[in-house]
Amino acid sequence: MQIKFEQFAAASMLGSEDSPPRDNGEILFQRPWEGRAFGMAIALSKKGHYEWEDFRQGLIASIAEWEATHCKDDPDWDYYLRWLSSLENLVLESCLVSEEELEERTRQILAETGGS
Amino acid sequence: MTENVDRETYSAARVRALESLLIEKEIITGETVDKVIEFFEKDMGPFNGARIVAKAWVDPAFKERLLADTPSAIAEMSFPRGMAGAEGENMMAVANTPEVHNLIVCTMCSCYPWPVLGLPPYWFKDPTFRARAIREPRKVLKEFGLDVAESVEVKVWDTSAQIRWFVLPERPEGTEDWTEEQLAAIVTPESMQGAAKVTVPAS
Repeated sequence: MQIKFEQFAAASMLGSEDSPPRDNGEILFQRPWEGRAFGMAIALSKKGHYEWEDFRQGLIASIAEWEATHCKDDPDWDYYLRWLSSLENLVLESCLVSEEELEERTRQILAETGGS
Repeated sequence: MTENVDRETYSAARVRALESLLIEKEIITGETVDKVIEFFEKDMGPFNGARIVAKAWVDPAFKERLLADTPSAIAEMSFPRGMAGAEGENMMAVANTPEVHNLIVCTMCSCYPWPVLGLPPYWFKDPTFRARAIREPRKVLKEFGLDVAESVEVKVWDTSAQIRWFVLPERPEGTEDWTEEQLAAIVTPESMQGAAKVTVPAS
């Protein structure tokens, strides 16, 4: 099975469109929520709610945790889920939001948007 | 794919929940997040790195300063002020030469010199790439379509909180009379990661 970067490598040799953005990087985020999670993490650090290095360490830990429990070429890999998980942890740890609030709000939104 | 759809729906809801709570508590505003995203879309990106590389190619004294003290050399150029904590504090440029080819990687996570290269492409964050780039860089480069001669040393630079590396690629032949602007246009992000060489587009 080809893993993601090998797909890129093959694609770049074959001249396919499936290569990373070359100029202004319009495809910064594949899904809208990635951008929101990215922006929130930076905004909170900019506003001094935590040190950026703490976020980075959380991200490293979150990635390491996934890698310890999956094969490196597992297609389940999703970078922004790791990002989101470290953001959640840090927001909860910094007591900006409580776990109950977050759970409750997520349930509400899922109910409104028809998710289960 | 049902599982993926569920995970997607859940993640999207989770992010919305988080953002709406933070806004309600007046910790951030929706505009703050918009601004961050816009900054990364418009101000930070490989177009900055390309301008730096082009300048280094036409101005040997700048190149020397760039390699000796990258942040000071970059500060000479009129870039938008870098965001504090945006991973641009400790950038360091390494030059490719006929003897050495450089490749950057972040084995721990996804550290990257944002101000000059923008956000990393997905393959840079891929667990397999991160592991293999250190272990067998030549083979990885070959898979990227770059065959580095045996006589050329391949150096891999592991980016960290302390130092964010980027590569100053070699100026391609046939560009001797090009302007800085023309040169900047052919510098790709891949070349500044060390995953490719800069080539003159055939046209």
